[in-house]
Amino acid sequence: MDDVLLSVGEFVALTNQTLEYAYPIVQVEGEVSEFRIAQGKWVSFKLKDDEAVVNCFTALAQMRVPLEDGMRVIVIAAPRLNNKGYFNLNIRAVKPVGEGSIKKGFELLKAKLEKEGLFAPERKRMLPRVPKHVAVVTSTESAAYADFIKIINERWGGLEVEVAHTQVQGVPAPDQMIRAIRYFNSLEILPEVLIIIRGGGSAEDLSTFNDEPLVRAIAESRIPTLVGVGHEVDHTLADMVSDVRAATPTNAAQILVPDKQEIIRGARAQANSVGYLLTQAIDSYSRQTKENLGAAFQRIQEKLDDAFERLGVLRVATSQLNPENVLKRGYALLRGDQTVGAKLEIETATNILTTEVQDVRAK
Amino acid sequence: MSGQNKDKSVQDKLTDLSELVGWFQGASFKLETALDKFKEAEALAEEIEKDLTKLKNDIKIVKKRFDSEV
Repeated sequence: MDDVLLSVGEFVALTNQTLEYAYPIVQVEGEVSEFRIAQGKWVSFKLKDDEAVVNCFTALAQMRVPLEDGMRVIVIAAPRLNNKGYFNLNIRAVKPVGEGSIKKGFELLKAKLEKEGLFAPERKRMLPRVPKHVAVVTSTESAAYADFIKIINERWGGLEVEVAHTQVQGVPAPDQMIRAIRYFNSLEILPEVLIIIRGGGSAEDLSTFNDEPLVRAIAESRIPTLVGVGHEVDHTLADMVSDVRAATPTNAAQILVPDKQEIIRGARAQANSVGYLLTQAIDSYSRQTKENLGAAFQRIQEKLDDAFERLGVLRVATSQLNPENVLKRGYALLRGDQTVGAKLEIETATNILTTEVQDVRAK
Repeated sequence: MSGQNKDKSVQDKLTDLSELVGWFQGASFKLETALDKFKEAEALAEEIEKDLTKLKNDIKIVKKRFDSEV
Protein backbone atom coordinates (compact mmCIF):
# COMPACT_ATOMS: atom_id res chain seq x y z
CA MET A 1 0.00 0.00 0.00
CA ASP A 2 3.07 2.28 0.35
CA ASP A 3 2.87 3.37 -3.27
CA VAL A 4 -0.93 3.78 -3.49
CA LEU A 5 -2.17 7.32 -3.24
CA LEU A 6 -5.65 7.55 -1.78
CA SER A 7 -8.03 10.43 -1.44
CA VAL A 8 -9.33 11.06 2.09
CA GLY A 9 -12.72 9.63 1.14
CA GLU A 10 -11.07 6.55 -0.34
CA PHE A 11 -8.96 6.10 2.78
CA VAL A 12 -12.06 6.27 5.04
CA ALA A 13 -13.91 3.81 2.76
CA LEU A 14 -10.92 1.43 2.72
CA THR A 15 -10.55 1.63 6.50
CA ASN A 16 -14.24 0.83 6.90
CA GLN A 17 -13.96 -2.12 4.50
CA THR A 18 -11.03 -3.45 6.49
CA LEU A 19 -12.88 -2.96 9.77
CA GLU A 20 -15.98 -4.64 8.37
CA TYR A 21 -13.92 -7.60 7.23
CA ALA A 22 -11.84 -7.91 10.42
CA TYR A 23 -14.43 -6.86 13.03
CA PRO A 24 -17.93 -6.92 11.53
CA ILE A 25 -19.46 -6.84 15.01
CA VAL A 26 -17.73 -6.34 18.34
CA GLN A 27 -18.95 -6.56 21.91
CA VAL A 28 -17.36 -4.01 24.19
CA GLU A 29 -17.98 -3.54 27.89
CA GLY A 30 -17.46 -0.22 29.60
CA GLU A 31 -19.00 2.66 31.55
CA VAL A 32 -21.31 5.20 29.90
CA SER A 33 -20.30 8.86 30.05
CA GLU A 34 -21.38 12.06 28.31
CA PHE A 35 -24.67 10.49 27.29
CA ARG A 36 -26.51 12.81 24.86
CA ILE A 37 -29.67 12.74 22.75
CA ALA A 38 -29.52 15.11 19.76
CA GLN A 39 -32.56 16.40 17.84
CA GLY A 40 -34.70 13.90 19.71
CA LYS A 41 -33.46 11.04 17.53
CA TRP A 42 -29.68 10.53 17.74
CA VAL A 43 -27.87 9.07 20.73
CA SER A 44 -24.20 9.48 21.43
CA PHE A 45 -22.06 8.64 24.46
CA LYS A 46 -18.57 7.66 25.40
CA LEU A 47 -17.76 4.17 26.56
CA LYS A 48 -14.79 4.17 28.87
CA ASP A 49 -12.71 2.15 31.25
CA ASP A 50 -9.53 2.93 33.16
CA GLU A 51 -7.40 2.70 30.05
CA ALA A 52 -9.34 4.13 27.12
CA VAL A 53 -12.46 5.75 25.80
CA VAL A 54 -14.42 5.21 22.58
CA ASN A 55 -17.31 7.11 20.98
CA CYS A 56 -20.61 5.32 20.54
CA PHE A 57 -23.41 6.36 18.24
CA THR A 58 -26.90 5.10 17.38
CA ALA A 59 -30.44 6.14 16.54
CA LEU A 60 -32.72 6.72 19.55
CA ALA A 61 -35.16 4.17 18.09
CA GLN A 62 -32.45 1.52 18.45
CA MET A 63 -32.18 2.08 22.20
CA ARG A 64 -34.10 -0.61 24.06
CA VAL A 65 -33.14 0.39 27.59
CA PRO A 66 -32.68 3.96 28.86
CA LEU A 67 -29.07 4.81 29.70
CA GLU A 68 -27.49 7.25 32.08
CA ASP A 69 -23.93 8.29 32.79
CA GLY A 70 -22.18 5.87 35.11
CA MET A 71 -24.09 2.76 33.94
CA ARG A 72 -22.01 -0.26 33.01
CA VAL A 73 -23.04 -1.71 29.66
CA ILE A 74 -22.08 -4.09 26.90
CA VAL A 75 -22.46 -2.59 23.46
CA ILE A 76 -22.82 -4.79 20.41
CA ALA A 77 -21.63 -2.59 17.60
CA ALA A 78 -19.93 -2.18 14.23
CA PRO A 79 -16.67 -0.13 14.44
CA ARG A 80 -16.65 2.64 11.84
CA LEU A 81 -14.63 5.69 10.86
CA ASN A 82 -16.97 8.48 9.78
CA ASN A 83 -16.37 11.09 7.07
CA LYS A 84 -15.38 13.68 9.68
CA GLY A 85 -12.56 11.47 10.87
CA TYR A 86 -14.15 10.34 14.11
CA PHE A 87 -13.99 6.71 15.10
CA ASN A 88 -17.31 5.38 16.40
CA LEU A 89 -18.91 2.22 17.55
CA ASN A 90 -22.19 2.15 15.61
CA ILE A 91 -24.42 0.44 18.11
CA ARG A 92 -26.69 -2.45 17.17
CA ALA A 93 -27.64 -3.30 20.75
CA VAL A 94 -26.75 -2.16 24.21
CA LYS A 95 -27.49 -3.93 27.45
CA PRO A 96 -26.75 -2.96 31.03
CA VAL A 97 -24.48 -5.37 32.93
CA GLY A 98 -24.02 -5.83 36.64
CA GLU A 99 -26.77 -5.66 39.20
CA GLY A 100 -26.54 -1.91 39.73
CA SER A 101 -26.74 -0.98 36.05
CA ILE A 102 -29.52 -3.48 35.31
CA LYS A 103 -31.49 -2.05 38.22
CA LYS A 104 -30.82 1.51 37.09
CA GLY A 105 -32.00 0.69 33.54
CA PHE A 106 -35.07 -0.99 35.00
CA GLU A 107 -35.92 2.02 37.18
CA LEU A 108 -35.41 4.54 34.37
CA LEU A 109 -37.67 2.63 31.97
CA LYS A 110 -40.20 1.90 34.70
CA ALA A 111 -40.48 5.64 35.49
CA LYS A 112 -40.87 6.45 31.78
CA LEU A 113 -43.59 3.85 31.18
CA GLU A 114 -45.34 4.67 34.42
CA LYS A 115 -45.55 8.30 33.31
CA GLU A 116 -47.26 7.10 30.13
CA GLY A 117 -49.79 5.19 32.24
CA LEU A 118 -48.81 1.74 30.94
CA PHE A 119 -49.06 0.17 34.40
CA ALA A 120 -52.37 1.84 35.31
CA PRO A 121 -54.85 -0.57 36.93
CA GLU A 122 -57.66 0.66 34.65
CA ARG A 123 -55.76 -0.72 31.62
CA LYS A 124 -55.87 -4.24 33.05
CA ARG A 125 -58.26 -6.61 31.30
CA MET A 126 -59.90 -9.65 32.84
CA LEU A 127 -58.99 -13.09 31.57
CA PRO A 128 -61.83 -15.43 30.62
CA ARG A 129 -62.64 -17.85 33.46
CA VAL A 130 -62.44 -20.86 31.19
CA PRO A 131 -60.64 -20.07 27.92
CA LYS A 132 -60.96 -22.42 24.94
CA HIS A 133 -58.10 -21.12 22.80
CA VAL A 134 -54.85 -19.62 24.11
CA ALA A 135 -51.41 -18.74 22.76
CA VAL A 136 -48.08 -19.23 24.51
CA VAL A 137 -44.79 -17.48 23.79
CA THR A 138 -41.82 -19.25 25.34
CA SER A 139 -38.89 -21.53 24.70
CA THR A 140 -40.34 -24.99 24.15
CA GLU A 141 -37.01 -26.43 25.27
CA SER A 142 -37.32 -24.95 28.76
CA ALA A 143 -38.31 -26.67 31.98
CA ALA A 144 -40.72 -23.79 32.57
CA TYR A 145 -42.68 -24.74 29.43
CA ALA A 146 -42.73 -28.44 30.43
CA ASP A 147 -44.07 -27.48 33.89
CA PHE A 148 -46.67 -25.17 32.39
CA ILE A 149 -48.00 -27.85 30.02
CA LYS A 150 -47.99 -30.49 32.79
CA ILE A 151 -50.06 -28.30 35.09
CA ILE A 152 -52.47 -27.33 32.28
CA ASN A 153 -53.03 -31.02 31.43
CA GLU A 154 -53.56 -31.92 35.09
CA ARG A 155 -56.02 -29.11 35.68
CA TRP A 156 -58.10 -28.88 32.51
CA GLY A 157 -59.07 -30.42 29.16
CA GLY A 158 -60.41 -29.33 25.78
CA LEU A 159 -58.09 -26.33 25.56
CA GLU A 160 -56.51 -25.42 22.23
CA VAL A 161 -52.96 -24.20 22.93
CA GLU A 162 -50.81 -22.63 20.19
CA VAL A 163 -47.16 -22.30 21.15
CA ALA A 164 -44.59 -20.00 19.55
CA HIS A 165 -41.06 -21.16 20.23
CA THR A 166 -38.69 -18.23 20.80
CA GLN A 167 -35.52 -17.54 22.68
CA VAL A 168 -36.23 -16.12 26.12
CA GLN A 169 -32.80 -14.74 26.91
CA GLY A 170 -29.99 -13.09 24.99
CA VAL A 171 -29.95 -10.25 22.51
CA PRO A 172 -32.28 -11.84 19.87
CA ALA A 173 -34.92 -12.86 22.45
CA PRO A 174 -36.96 -9.62 22.69
CA ASP A 175 -37.37 -9.28 18.93
CA GLN A 176 -38.35 -12.93 18.59
CA MET A 177 -40.96 -12.57 21.31
CA ILE A 178 -42.24 -9.33 19.73
CA ARG A 179 -42.66 -11.15 16.39
CA ALA A 180 -44.52 -13.98 18.12
CA ILE A 181 -46.81 -11.51 19.94
CA ARG A 182 -47.55 -9.72 16.65
CA TYR A 183 -48.13 -13.04 14.89
CA PHE A 184 -50.80 -14.10 17.39
CA ASN A 185 -52.36 -10.62 17.30
CA SER A 186 -52.64 -10.84 13.51
CA LEU A 187 -54.59 -14.13 13.49
CA GLU A 188 -58.10 -14.03 12.08
CA ILE A 189 -59.44 -15.82 15.14
CA LEU A 190 -57.63 -14.32 18.09
CA PRO A 191 -56.64 -16.53 21.01
CA GLU A 192 -58.44 -15.52 24.20
CA VAL A 193 -55.27 -15.20 26.27
CA LEU A 194 -51.62 -14.61 25.34
CA ILE A 195 -49.26 -16.21 27.84
CA ILE A 196 -45.57 -15.33 28.04
CA ILE A 197 -43.51 -17.53 30.35
CA ARG A 198 -39.91 -18.14 31.33
CA GLY A 199 -38.33 -19.88 34.29
CA GLY A 200 -35.92 -18.40 36.78
CA GLY A 201 -32.54 -16.99 35.85
CA SER A 202 -29.97 -14.33 36.65
CA ALA A 203 -30.90 -10.66 36.67
CA GLU A 204 -29.14 -10.39 33.31
CA ASP A 205 -31.16 -13.30 31.84
CA LEU A 206 -34.41 -11.81 33.05
CA SER A 207 -33.46 -8.32 31.83
CA THR A 208 -34.74 -9.49 28.42
CA PHE A 209 -38.19 -8.85 29.89
CA ASN A 210 -37.26 -5.23 30.63
CA ASP A 211 -36.74 -4.49 26.94
CA GLU A 212 -38.73 -1.40 25.99
CA PRO A 213 -40.08 -2.57 22.59
CA LEU A 214 -41.06 -5.94 24.12
CA VAL A 215 -42.82 -4.24 27.03
CA ARG A 216 -44.66 -1.98 24.58
CA ALA A 217 -45.64 -4.94 22.37
CA ILE A 218 -47.19 -6.62 25.43
CA ALA A 219 -49.01 -3.40 26.34
CA GLU A 220 -50.33 -3.05 22.78
CA SER A 221 -51.53 -6.65 22.50
CA ARG A 222 -55.18 -6.91 21.48
CA ILE A 223 -55.21 -10.26 23.26
CA PRO A 224 -55.29 -10.07 27.09
CA THR A 225 -51.87 -11.02 28.42
CA LEU A 226 -50.70 -13.27 31.25
CA VAL A 227 -46.99 -13.04 32.02
CA GLY A 228 -45.10 -15.37 34.36
CA VAL A 229 -41.35 -14.79 34.41
CA GLY A 230 -38.80 -16.10 36.88
CA HIS A 231 -39.62 -16.76 40.51
CA GLU A 232 -42.07 -15.05 42.83
CA VAL A 233 -39.50 -12.44 43.93
CA ASP A 234 -38.57 -11.47 40.36
CA HIS A 235 -40.29 -8.43 38.91
CA THR A 236 -39.93 -7.42 35.29
CA LEU A 237 -41.52 -4.62 33.31
CA ALA A 238 -43.13 -7.26 31.07
CA ASP A 239 -45.13 -8.66 33.96
CA MET A 240 -45.91 -5.19 35.31
CA VAL A 241 -47.42 -4.14 31.98
CA SER A 242 -49.34 -7.39 31.46
CA ASP A 243 -53.04 -7.67 32.20
CA VAL A 244 -52.37 -10.39 34.76
CA ARG A 245 -49.06 -11.14 36.45
CA ALA A 246 -48.26 -14.70 37.44
CA ALA A 247 -45.56 -15.26 40.05
CA THR A 248 -44.09 -18.20 38.09
CA PRO A 249 -44.87 -20.20 34.91
CA THR A 250 -46.59 -22.83 37.11
CA ASN A 251 -48.69 -20.08 38.67
CA ALA A 252 -49.57 -18.86 35.13
CA ALA A 253 -51.03 -22.33 34.38
CA GLN A 254 -53.00 -22.20 37.66
CA ILE A 255 -54.37 -18.75 36.84
CA LEU A 256 -55.18 -19.69 33.24
CA VAL A 257 -57.48 -22.65 33.83
CA PRO A 258 -59.57 -23.84 36.76
CA ASP A 259 -58.89 -27.17 38.43
CA LYS A 260 -61.27 -29.73 36.90
CA GLN A 261 -61.43 -31.69 40.18
CA GLU A 262 -62.70 -28.55 41.90
CA ILE A 263 -65.22 -27.96 39.09
CA ILE A 264 -66.44 -31.59 39.34
CA ARG A 265 -66.79 -31.23 43.12
CA GLY A 266 -68.61 -27.93 42.60
CA ALA A 267 -71.01 -29.45 40.04
CA ARG A 268 -71.77 -32.35 42.36
CA ALA A 269 -72.34 -29.92 45.23
CA GLN A 270 -74.72 -27.89 43.07
CA ALA A 271 -76.71 -31.00 42.08
CA ASN A 272 -76.84 -31.99 45.77
CA SER A 273 -77.95 -28.52 46.74
CA VAL A 274 -80.80 -28.81 44.20
CA GLY A 275 -81.82 -32.11 45.85
CA TYR A 276 -81.72 -30.44 49.25
CA LEU A 277 -83.76 -27.49 47.95
CA LEU A 278 -86.33 -29.92 46.49
CA THR A 279 -86.64 -31.80 49.83
CA GLN A 280 -86.94 -28.49 51.64
CA ALA A 281 -89.65 -27.35 49.21
CA ILE A 282 -91.61 -30.59 49.65
CA ASP A 283 -91.32 -30.28 53.47
CA SER A 284 -92.38 -26.68 53.30
CA TYR A 285 -95.39 -27.44 51.05
CA SER A 286 -96.39 -30.35 53.29
CA ARG A 287 -96.10 -28.20 56.42
CA GLN A 288 -98.03 -25.40 54.75
CA THR A 289 -100.81 -27.79 53.68
CA LYS A 290 -101.06 -29.19 57.22
CA GLU A 291 -101.18 -25.69 58.61
CA ASN A 292 -103.88 -24.68 56.10
CA LEU A 293 -105.98 -27.76 56.93
CA GLY A 294 -105.56 -27.09 60.66
CA ALA A 295 -106.61 -23.49 60.17
CA ALA A 296 -109.66 -24.58 58.12
CA PHE A 297 -110.76 -27.07 60.84
CA GLN A 298 -110.26 -24.41 63.46
CA ARG A 299 -112.49 -21.99 61.59
CA ILE A 300 -115.18 -24.61 61.05
CA GLN A 301 -115.07 -25.48 64.76
CA GLU A 302 -115.37 -21.82 65.68
CA LYS A 303 -118.37 -21.38 63.36
CA LEU A 304 -120.05 -24.47 64.84
CA ASP A 305 -119.40 -23.30 68.41
CA ASP A 306 -120.83 -19.93 67.51
CA ALA A 307 -123.95 -21.50 65.94
CA PHE A 308 -124.49 -23.77 68.95
CA GLU A 309 -124.18 -20.81 71.29
CA ARG A 310 -126.72 -18.81 69.31
CA LEU A 311 -129.03 -21.83 69.20
CA GLY A 312 -128.85 -22.10 73.02
CA VAL A 313 -129.80 -18.43 73.41
CA LEU A 314 -132.71 -18.86 71.00
CA ARG A 315 -133.84 -21.95 72.87
CA VAL A 316 -133.95 -20.03 76.15
CA ALA A 317 -135.79 -17.14 74.50
CA THR A 318 -138.25 -19.49 72.84
CA SER A 319 -138.91 -21.38 76.04
CA GLN A 320 -139.54 -18.11 77.87
CA LEU A 321 -142.18 -17.19 75.28
CA ASN A 322 -144.04 -20.55 75.64
CA PRO A 323 -147.56 -19.76 77.25
CA GLU A 324 -147.44 -23.05 79.22
CA ASN A 325 -144.30 -21.79 81.02
CA VAL A 326 -146.04 -18.42 81.77
CA LEU A 327 -149.06 -20.31 83.24
CA LYS A 328 -146.62 -22.39 85.36
CA ARG A 329 -145.29 -19.18 86.89
CA GLY A 330 -148.83 -18.47 88.25
CA TYR A 331 -150.32 -16.43 85.46
CA ALA A 332 -153.72 -17.29 83.87
CA LEU A 333 -155.13 -16.94 80.40
CA LEU A 334 -158.49 -15.15 80.13
CA ARG A 335 -160.86 -15.68 77.19
CA GLY A 336 -164.28 -13.95 76.60
CA ASP A 337 -165.92 -10.48 76.30
CA GLN A 338 -165.23 -7.88 78.98
CA THR A 339 -168.88 -6.93 79.50
CA VAL A 340 -171.17 -7.35 82.54
CA GLY A 341 -172.94 -10.69 82.47
CA ALA A 342 -170.61 -12.21 79.89
CA LYS A 343 -169.08 -15.62 80.53
CA LEU A 344 -165.29 -15.76 80.86
CA GLU A 345 -162.98 -18.77 80.59
CA ILE A 346 -159.90 -18.71 82.84
CA GLU A 347 -157.06 -21.14 82.09
CA THR A 348 -154.38 -21.79 84.73
CA ALA A 349 -151.44 -24.16 84.66
CA THR A 350 -153.59 -26.97 85.93
CA ASN A 351 -157.29 -25.98 85.43
CA ILE A 352 -159.81 -24.23 83.15
CA LEU A 353 -162.47 -22.24 85.05
CA THR A 354 -165.67 -20.60 83.78
CA THR A 355 -166.97 -17.41 85.47
CA GLU A 356 -169.36 -14.49 84.85
CA VAL A 357 -168.42 -10.76 84.62
CA GLN A 358 -170.18 -8.81 87.38
CA ASP A 359 -168.55 -5.41 87.02
CA VAL A 360 -166.34 -3.60 84.47
CA ARG A 361 -164.44 -0.44 85.48
CA ALA A 362 -161.92 1.57 83.63
CA LYS A 363 -158.37 1.59 85.18
CA MET B 1 -81.66 -33.89 27.95
CA SER B 2 -78.45 -35.62 26.87
CA GLY B 3 -79.36 -34.98 23.22
CA GLN B 4 -79.82 -31.27 23.90
CA ASN B 5 -76.52 -31.04 25.78
CA LYS B 6 -74.46 -33.03 23.29
CA ASP B 7 -73.01 -29.99 21.53
CA LYS B 8 -72.70 -27.81 24.60
CA SER B 9 -69.33 -26.93 26.11
CA VAL B 10 -68.50 -27.66 29.74
CA GLN B 11 -68.82 -23.94 30.42
CA ASP B 12 -72.33 -23.90 28.93
CA LYS B 13 -73.30 -26.89 31.05
CA LEU B 14 -71.91 -25.21 34.17
CA THR B 15 -74.00 -22.15 33.35
CA ASP B 16 -77.10 -24.33 32.86
CA LEU B 17 -76.46 -26.01 36.21
CA SER B 18 -76.11 -22.66 37.98
CA GLU B 19 -79.34 -21.48 36.33
CA LEU B 20 -81.14 -24.57 37.62
CA VAL B 21 -79.93 -23.85 41.15
CA GLY B 22 -81.15 -20.27 40.65
CA TRP B 23 -84.55 -21.55 39.51
CA PHE B 24 -84.91 -23.55 42.72
CA GLN B 25 -84.10 -20.45 44.76
CA GLY B 26 -86.16 -18.02 42.69
CA ALA B 27 -89.75 -16.92 42.30
CA SER B 28 -90.40 -19.17 39.27
CA PHE B 29 -90.10 -22.29 41.43
CA LYS B 30 -93.05 -24.70 41.06
CA LEU B 31 -93.23 -27.96 42.95
CA GLU B 32 -94.98 -29.59 39.98
CA THR B 33 -91.88 -29.23 37.74
CA ALA B 34 -89.22 -29.36 40.46
CA LEU B 35 -88.62 -33.10 40.23
CA ASP B 36 -87.85 -32.89 36.49
CA LYS B 37 -85.50 -29.96 37.11
CA PHE B 38 -83.76 -31.92 39.86
CA LYS B 39 -83.23 -34.87 37.47
CA GLU B 40 -81.91 -32.41 34.88
CA ALA B 41 -79.40 -31.00 37.41
CA GLU B 42 -78.18 -34.48 38.37
CA ALA B 43 -77.71 -35.41 34.69
CA LEU B 44 -75.79 -32.17 34.02
CA ALA B 45 -73.44 -32.77 36.96
CA GLU B 46 -72.73 -36.27 35.64
CA GLU B 47 -72.12 -34.99 32.11
CA ILE B 48 -69.76 -32.28 33.37
CA GLU B 49 -67.75 -34.88 35.26
CA LYS B 50 -67.59 -37.17 32.21
CA ASP B 51 -66.63 -34.32 29.87
CA LEU B 52 -63.88 -33.03 32.14
CA THR B 53 -62.48 -36.49 32.68
CA LYS B 54 -62.27 -37.40 29.00
CA LEU B 55 -61.30 -34.02 27.41
CA LYS B 56 -57.63 -33.61 26.41
CA ASN B 57 -55.81 -30.40 25.57
CA ASP B 58 -54.71 -29.87 21.98
CA ILE B 59 -51.19 -28.39 22.01
CA LYS B 60 -49.72 -27.25 18.70
CA ILE B 61 -46.29 -25.71 18.13
CA VAL B 62 -46.55 -22.94 15.57
CA LYS B 63 -44.49 -23.81 12.49
CA LYS B 64 -43.57 -20.21 11.75
CA ARG B 65 -40.09 -19.23 12.89
CA PHE B 66 -39.60 -16.04 14.85
CA ASP B 67 -35.81 -15.74 14.66
CA SER B 68 -35.96 -13.37 11.68
CA GLU B 69 -38.38 -10.92 10.08
CA VAL B 70 -39.12 -13.26 7.16
